[in-house]
Amino acid sequence: MTAQQHFRQLPRTAVWLLDLFTPAEQAESIQGDLLEEFSLLALKSGISSARRWYWRQTVKTVLQLVSVSFVTAPWLTALPVIGGLLLGKLFGPMVEPAIFAVIERYQVAEHHFSTYMLLASTGIDVGHLITFLLIGFAVAFASKQREMVATITLALIHWAMVVVASVYVVTTTGNDALLWRLTWYFADCFVIVLAGAIVRMHRLAVLSRPLKA
Amino acid sequence: MRDRDYLGEFEHIIVLALLRLNDLAYGVTVRQEIESRTQREVSIGAVYATLDRLETKGYVTSYHGDPTPERGGRSKRFFRVTAKGLAAVNSTHRALQSMIEGLSLTRNSS
Repeated sequence: MTAQQHFRQLPRTAVWLLDLFTPAEQAESIQGDLLEEFSLLALKSGISSARRWYWRQTVKTVLQLVSVSFVTAPWLTALPVIGGLLLGKLFGPMVEPAIFAVIERYQVAEHHFSTYMLLASTGIDVGHLITFLLIGFAVAFASKQREMVATITLALIHWAMVVVASVYVVTTTGNDALLWRLTWYFADCFVIVLAGAIVRMHRLAVLSRPLKA
Repeated sequence: MRDRDYLGEFEHIIVLALLRLNDLAYGVTVRQEIESRTQREVSIGAVYATLDRLETKGYVTSYHGDPTPERGGRSKRFFRVTAKGLAAVNSTHRALQSMIEGLSLTRNSS
């Protein structure tokens, strides 16, 4: 079996994860080494054993790359994350007034009550999602080769903050219905990481594009 | 080189693997050499993280070979130990030797 045939049998999700986290200068060596060993292992022990090995290597390597990213250039990761938190603090509270300003401006409540209800409830949550997606893009663009590490860090900090705040509010007010809000907050964290993945994939596509003569 | 330029445990293992492999030291062979001699599974990410750190310290150098078909057209990154790296290995060995000297490494049961 040739390397081309083995390449097609690599676990796609694991390859994608490596693409997301491996710095461009290491990508060729790491992925080439893993493919070479995968091919050898597939011939020796079979494809399923080789795929399990590839997954183990991917998980360990991704964790290693994340920790190295923090150790070798902590400020390159920390500064975009701090910037993202400040943007969240600045623009997060503006979403609700902005949506109500639109409702007022177009007198939505008077003319389309169902649209008003939708905008005043789900519309605000969707507005937050879009805001955090844009913040995720800004953080990913600012963090150069560390898009995933920066956006995951920002998402985890945001998640920890909202969980602590929600638990505090629920324990002081006794209104446990507020816990349902956590699903939307989780979605906010998810779109931050999604933005990181989109920027990373875009940069990889640009890098792998053949140069025009 | 200062006398206190010692290698960490995994750095030490990696440099010794490079010395054993000589001109054939790249990610796959280094990882396999360590696995076969220490019986512990090592990730390729850990190998490269340490090699990059050693290169930053000036203990190893690297260069890219030609792309090969068994690697999907990707090239190998070969590593070599520098004179400074060799001196660091020696000073680490001397430090370990001096710490071990006169010690009995078997624990008394009493």
